[in-house]
Amino acid sequence: MTSPAIETTDLGKVYRTLTGKYVPALNGVSLRVERGTVFGLLGPNGAGKTTLLKILLGLAQPTSGSARLLDSNPGNTAMRRKIGYLPESMRIPDYMRANRFMWYMGRLNRVPAKVLKKRIPELLERVSLGGVKKPVKAYSKGMQQRLGLAQAMLNDPELLFLDEPTDGLDPVGRKEVRDLVQHLRKEGKTIFLNSHMLSEVELVCDHVVILNQGLVARAATPEEFTRGTGEYQVRVAEVSDAVRAAAATIATTGEWRGTTLHFKPRDRAQLNELLDKLRGVPVEIESIEPVKFSLEQFFMQVVSGGNS
Amino acid sequence: MYASYLNSLLEAFSRRMGLVLIGFALMWAVVFNLLVHFIPLKDGSSMVYLAQRMMGPGSLAQPALLGIGAEITGGLFWMLLSILAAAPLLSSTLDRGWLELTLSKGTARWRVFLGRYLGGCTLYLASVVIACMPLEVRFWWKTGIGPWPLLVAMLIQTFIFASLLSLAALAAVPQMGPAPPILLSLMVAILSPVLAARKIGLYQILTSNWSRELIDWMYRILPKTQELQGASTIFIRDRAIQSWYPFWSTGIFMAVMIALALWLLHRKSL
Repeated sequence: MTSPAIETTDLGKVYRTLTGKYVPALNGVSLRVERGTVFGLLGPNGAGKTTLLKILLGLAQPTSGSARLLDSNPGNTAMRRKIGYLPESMRIPDYMRANRFMWYMGRLNRVPAKVLKKRIPELLERVSLGGVKKPVKAYSKGMQQRLGLAQAMLNDPELLFLDEPTDGLDPVGRKEVRDLVQHLRKEGKTIFLNSHMLSEVELVCDHVVILNQGLVARAATPEEFTRGTGEYQVRVAEVSDAVRAAAATIATTGEWRGTTLHFKPRDRAQLNELLDKLRGVPVEIESIEPVKFSLEQFFMQVVSGGNS
Repeated sequence: MYASYLNSLLEAFSRRMGLVLIGFALMWAVVFNLLVHFIPLKDGSSMVYLAQRMMGPGSLAQPALLGIGAEITGGLFWMLLSILAAAPLLSSTLDRGWLELTLSKGTARWRVFLGRYLGGCTLYLASVVIACMPLEVRFWWKTGIGPWPLLVAMLIQTFIFASLLSLAALAAVPQMGPAPPILLSLMVAILSPVLAARKIGLYQILTSNWSRELIDWMYRILPKTQELQGASTIFIRDRAIQSWYPFWSTGIFMAVMIALALWLLHRKSL
């Protein structure tokens, strides 16, 4: 069995304010990210996501517990050369140009100069910044974000941390990032995605953790989060009194919204019974769909303290 | 560390203060060179003039004129300009949004920071070389007097600057922007001559034993910029160091400041 890309055990972090007050940011976070997967970290503002990310990247020290990345401690510089990171609020100095910035980032990761000469133009081309000569300060937010993505991939990392990677990107750019994530997964990379774009997390992640008040509130696959509610939507061509009467004999708790009946059957047999009754009217049944939770609904339920 | 060092130089030359410092050094070099004339004598030697004033033959004029240059580049104004140009290189390492990019990479924090500190020292050395070397090269060319005393003097001055910048390095760690590093280094640069002359200055105001003892301790601990500056100009003239005390005591101060800054940075949760 291969070791996980990331493993944290009871990770805790308490900050001390200037007035001497202790503020807990993480209250014992234990999670495991398998190699070659796309992992999504969700949570409301102040949930401890940034603190967790900082600890994993060796930028902050935990107060308690432990973290292991690629079989090393987060502070290990040799291990960090196998990591790529796109920060959420990146601020590239005004004097930098894309090539110089990429070169510096690469050299800090000890990427050989020969490799950089080849990889920098390739990556800039890949994020549609090839041939852009203006200084980074003149870049749009989206362009800066693309540049950040390019630098994160410069050292061909085994593990990639993407903090709000689609922030500032237009729909085309967001699609490109999703495709890139899928492509990197195919290459066997592990991706740790921190995003508020729940629909994107739902689309690309293999595993999702919702962090709330410094704790892992839920951990599951997107499929588990978005499982069926047990309710069905039955849409018919037209609703007449006869149709309503036929439905009422089976779906006593059902509710009509336009031409769609929302109904939670006891079992499949009751659902089939309803369909038979409707066909008997007769009326054309256009569609039958199980109602699912969206990740957003689930997220809202978790952060507002509900039990799924 | 080398990548960080090179990047700090790039940043220094992209900042207005860095350009002002180098521009000032160039201007000084041009003005100083225009003022100095070499008049050939019949015996093949040269007489040196500073504007209309005769400075004597090369062997006499060289230490006198380069001593003037060294006094300027090691003076408070030059130090002030250099600190304004170099201290932000240290504080900008810890700018939010940038530190997440640089300090999460596979280079230890201390290497990144030390690289930038050395970049700051190099910026000062570059300004001194630009300001003084052209005249020294002329002397070398016209009189055959070699540049090594000036080179040693420039290294002594860089040592003074490095000791001031080490304090800026420590003051940059709490991430409060460029102001505290600049102000602290400047404060020490101003205080050092006052402390050096404490027996004819501060002792007249502070008469109690404990306050004089306090002032003496401050003098012992802080960099001896005044004495070192004197040592650099004397070296150009006499080619000798009279006292090593300012060197080793300032060296200890610098080493402690740098070690403390790097240790705090290593432990810091960013």
